[in-house]
Amino acid sequence: MYQQLSNLSDKELIARARKLKDREAEGVLLERYSHLLVAICLPALKNNAGANAQTLFPSLLQRLSNGLKTQSIQKASEWVHQTARTYFAHPDKQIPYYPSREAREQLHTENRVEKAASNTIEKQTLITQIQQALAGLSTDDRYLVEQFYLENKTFADLAAQKGYTPD
Amino acid sequence: MSNSISYNERLLKIFAGVRCLNKDQLPRYLEGRLTDIEKHLVEQHLVDCDLCFDALQILHKEGQLEKYVRLSNGIQQYIRDSIKPVSQLQKMERYVRKAKKRESMLIYFWLVAFIAGGGALMYLMQQYNRNKPVMARPAAVPVVPAAAMAASPPPATDSQTLQTRPVTLASSTGAVTTPPATVTPPPPAANDSAKTAALKKAAEDSLARKAAAVAAARAADSLRKKAAAKDSVARHTVKKDTPVMAAATADKTEKPVKQDDNNTAGKEKAESSSNASKPAATKAAPSSSTVVDTDEYLYRAAMVYQQQGNLDEAISRYKRLTANTGRVGEMARYQMAVCYRSKGQTGKAKRMFKEVVRMDGTMKQAAQQALDNL
Repeated sequence: MYQQLSNLSDKELIARARKLKDREAEGVLLERYSHLLVAICLPALKNNAGANAQTLFPSLLQRLSNGLKTQSIQKASEWVHQTARTYFAHPDKQIPYYPSREAREQLHTENRVEKAASNTIEKQTLITQIQQALAGLSTDDRYLVEQFYLENKTFADLAAQKGYTPD
Repeated sequence: MSNSISYNERLLKIFAGVRCLNKDQLPRYLEGRLTDIEKHLVEQHLVDCDLCFDALQILHKEGQLEKYVRLSNGIQQYIRDSIKPVSQLQKMERYVRKAKKRESMLIYFWLVAFIAGGGALMYLMQQYNRNKPVMARPAAVPVVPAAAMAASPPPATDSQTLQTRPVTLASSTGAVTTPPATVTPPPPAANDSAKTAALKKAAEDSLARKAAAVAAARAADSLRKKAAAKDSVARHTVKKDTPVMAAATADKTEKPVKQDDNNTAGKEKAESSSNASKPAATKAAPSSSTVVDTDEYLYRAAMVYQQQGNLDEAISRYKRLTANTGRVGEMARYQMAVCYRSKGQTGKAKRMFKEVVRMDGTMKQAAQQALDNL
């Protein structure tokens, strides 16, 4: 059962947790993002002397669990990130998660591309749109984007090529 | 062309969703131990995902990889611990609930089945009780015919005993009591009609019985009291009775022959006068062989039909008896003629009467008379 659930996408897990009240699906979903959550929380644990891992994570997870039941979540990673950030900013307040405009647009585009997988006409229109957008970029940006996305160059390669440093 | 397609595909891939870094990808990325494709996908994802980017950034800067690994393991364990027992408990609860439900359903089922069975049993019992008389009737019904059969033979046996009784009584002269009186009538009956004879029989019978009883009682009384006057009276009555008895016994010795003549004589008259009186006459008719006996019974049955008014049935029964050339056959023919006459078929009646006359039996005179009347 656990293995089957871990193969499901975030969306399906959320749907299961919400509609079927499947605690296992909820657990799998939280487990999937737990290590990232830990990484995010490291500075908070280090900087706040009063913060304890034994109390911080359970309360954070409880908040996530509550949010999962009440909030509509399109993107789990963004939801986790935002919840964690609001938790650190206002530990007492329950600020509901709301996806940003950019995130929603990005999600919309991603969905559109996913749907167009078997639709050639839609695909063609998308490709022309992307090409037009790329043409609209500055030469420097366009070079980086093309190198990164189309030539599979790494950040390190591109940084070395351009002489950028991580500061 | 293929290059252009791949180029277009790569263009679309810009917007392909990539999953967040999993638990073992993150440290490997930091250590630079990822394959090229993996690294590219991670980096493409990092462009979109703030969570992963932040996590990588923090880990890269802070360098608390050991603490991160420890904590991430701890939180994973914590999640599993907090989720699993609950789910296990839920499963147990669900199972227990289901089992309970099944059990209760079973109980209900058996309850309903028991009640239904009981109801059916009650209903069947009621039905059985209601039908019991009906069931018993078939058993009783055969009894009735049996009783009828048993009742119907007696006439035969009675007649037989009647026929045989004179003989037995005649042989046993010593113990002569009232029974002989029933058969004694012949002398007076010889001249009178059958009806009067029967009446007289009854009267004499009762008288004789009473007299005998009174005599016996008085004799006993007289013996006890030893009163002379009463004794003489009693003796007178006894004396009066005894001659009659003696006469009766004397008659009986001759009866086997005499009775036949008397009866037949009476019968002739009775038949000529009325059909109804015939059974009584025929009862006395003597018969030696069993064939004749059965014929007589058939004849009597036919007579019953005739008296009931079922002439057709009576005629058909008489017809069967016409084969008998004896007295019964003659009687049957005569009765058939009577039936025809009462049905209005004078032609057939005449023929039958003529036949009876031709037979030259005891019924000849009556038949001739009837012919004359027709």
